[in-house]
Amino acid sequence: MNSIDITAMAFKNLWRRKVRTVLTILGVVVGTASIVMMLSIGIGMNESFKQQVSMMGSLNLITVNPYYYPEIDDGGKVGYVEPQRNTLDDKALEKIAQIDGVEAVTPLLYYYLKFVSGKYVAYGQVVGIYADTMEAFDFKLSQGRHLTSEDTNALVFGSSMVYNFYDPSSRGRYWYYGMQEEAAIDVMNDKIVMTFDMSYGEKRPGGGGQPRDIRKRPIEVKVVGLLEQGQSEKDYSAYINIDYLKKLIKANTQTNKMPGRISYGTSNNTESYEQAWVKVTKLEDVERVQKAINQMGYGAYSLTDILRQMLDATKTIRMVLGAIGAVAFFIAAIGIMNTMIMSIYERTKEIGIMKVLGCMLKDIRKLFLLESALIGLLGSILGIGFSYGVSYLMNRADISFLDYGWYYSYGEKAQISVIPLWLTLAAIGFGSVVGILSGAYPAARAMRISALEAIRNE
Amino acid sequence: METVIVLNDVRKVYRVGNEKVVALDSVNLNILKGEICCFVGTSGSGKSTLLHLMAGLEKPTRGSIIIKNMEIHKLSERKLAKFRQDYVGFVFQSYNLMPTLTAVENVCLPLIFKGIPKIIRNRRAKKMLKAVGLETHIKHKPTQMSGGQQQRVGIARAFVGNPEIVFADEPTGNLDTKTSKEVMDLITSIAKKNNQTLVVVTHDIEIARYADRIFYIKDGRIERIEVVEKSN
Repeated sequence: MNSIDITAMAFKNLWRRKVRTVLTILGVVVGTASIVMMLSIGIGMNESFKQQVSMMGSLNLITVNPYYYPEIDDGGKVGYVEPQRNTLDDKALEKIAQIDGVEAVTPLLYYYLKFVSGKYVAYGQVVGIYADTMEAFDFKLSQGRHLTSEDTNALVFGSSMVYNFYDPSSRGRYWYYGMQEEAAIDVMNDKIVMTFDMSYGEKRPGGGGQPRDIRKRPIEVKVVGLLEQGQSEKDYSAYINIDYLKKLIKANTQTNKMPGRISYGTSNNTESYEQAWVKVTKLEDVERVQKAINQMGYGAYSLTDILRQMLDATKTIRMVLGAIGAVAFFIAAIGIMNTMIMSIYERTKEIGIMKVLGCMLKDIRKLFLLESALIGLLGSILGIGFSYGVSYLMNRADISFLDYGWYYSYGEKAQISVIPLWLTLAAIGFGSVVGILSGAYPAARAMRISALEAIRNE
Repeated sequence: METVIVLNDVRKVYRVGNEKVVALDSVNLNILKGEICCFVGTSGSGKSTLLHLMAGLEKPTRGSIIIKNMEIHKLSERKLAKFRQDYVGFVFQSYNLMPTLTAVENVCLPLIFKGIPKIIRNRRAKKMLKAVGLETHIKHKPTQMSGGQQQRVGIARAFVGNPEIVFADEPTGNLDTKTSKEVMDLITSIAKKNNQTLVVVTHDIEIARYADRIFYIKDGRIERIEVVEKSN
């Protein structure tokens, strides 16, 4: 038999028993829809976790520090593990940059400095980074440009840094983050100086305190870029070319004749950064790179750790959801098998006649497998369609029974149910395969039907 | 003349409960190409069993059945299906038409199993239906036809693939005398025209008169063989 004839015959046979076929398909629809919905809720959960975590920062980002807690097999006893400290310098970072999958590396050199513009002052954290890595590390600009390696006294301000400027002479006012709705100065255009002298530009109350160190000369700076508002520490920092910052610190340390408060330029002269960032190109490489960095003797952390913990925590929920769906699908499979067996009982004579008329056994098997596969296929296609509908309604209806809370006000609303393309294809494929598997036993039975029994005269 | 069917010392024993029933014993026979043979006997004589053995629907307990130089008692199910597809046509007592299919679709069935394309098989089936005098009933379902008409469809179906051998199991068993005569005239004339071997099983001696040779079966043995002298 050629396949067109078998297909036509299979459709005809299904159509012959419309009600039963439709009911069986309905079973598959319910089975598919329940498994897809359950999985889609699980996926929606994961997606919203990812969304939340990535609001805290990039998932592709690994934070490296020179401390490393070696894993010690102490037989489950919990004890204090002495951290090992390794030098995290430019050379080490270069080695890290060599790891397969790493896109960019930058050290983070933190320094607390004061900014002055006219009568306004601001205190803030200045972070020295490799200037040409801003793009890679997702510094999204709302204005201006990124730093380049040629920049010296250029700064990129975090969105909240702008609001740090206040007038110290206006008394009786407490300053706190977010207090001001409008920035006191136009950071991009106003003249700004930066200084190590925390008392610069302010009238010292009562003439007491430290004498002004005139050698701490203010440095004129230019804000070349302003970052978009995010939900990360980037909001509260100003970024500068690390080479320039080092130079400034060195000069300041010399004038002060005392070591700086950071490990860079400490007395034993090891240039170890306290922190560095590593950007990994692909999300799936993060864990591997993280491990590699650990093995080099550094601490490595990423938001992926947090995400994984969150995902682990809900794994059980997702598995239970999947199991519920699977049960429904299993029942649908039994339904298919039942329908096919019934159909074989009814068609015993017909199958016998087919055999006597020279129908090959493999064609009989194909016919029955195709019929059950069609039930599975049609059912899963309709089930997927149904799931899309329910999924759409759920997301629209703003059901908040899975409200995970924080960070919801920002960015896109997390979806409760997400049906990715792979799930659609997998469900349809799975439906067909289950159809075929459920048809396997009935088909084998059909093949075994004795032609003689079937055609015996009543 | 070419021998198409050879049976050597065929024995068939059924087991009913703990009892053994010998349906056929020591059957030897040859059937020639183009010959029309009738097996006549009372019910339970073993004539139907003989037909089933020759068609490969059952296996003999002992002995050999050779058709077209193939030892069909040794063939696998798969090869038997192929054998039936290639060489055998079947006419049943109760017609055994597919109730959901039209006359032409029923006639097409053996050709579908052979994998013959739709246009060709439809043409052949219509031609065959015309040959059995049913060109007006091509689109009729079996329930819309009389017994005689249904059997004509059955005959068309048996002959449509132009098989070398056609087995007919009580082809007139459900028909009245007049229709029986028509059906037998039809079946034998087609077989003669195409030089096909026709094996008919019947209990009706009148029907057996259509054959070239009549095998009388009694208690599982061939009692005697009668060569029918044709008047014309």
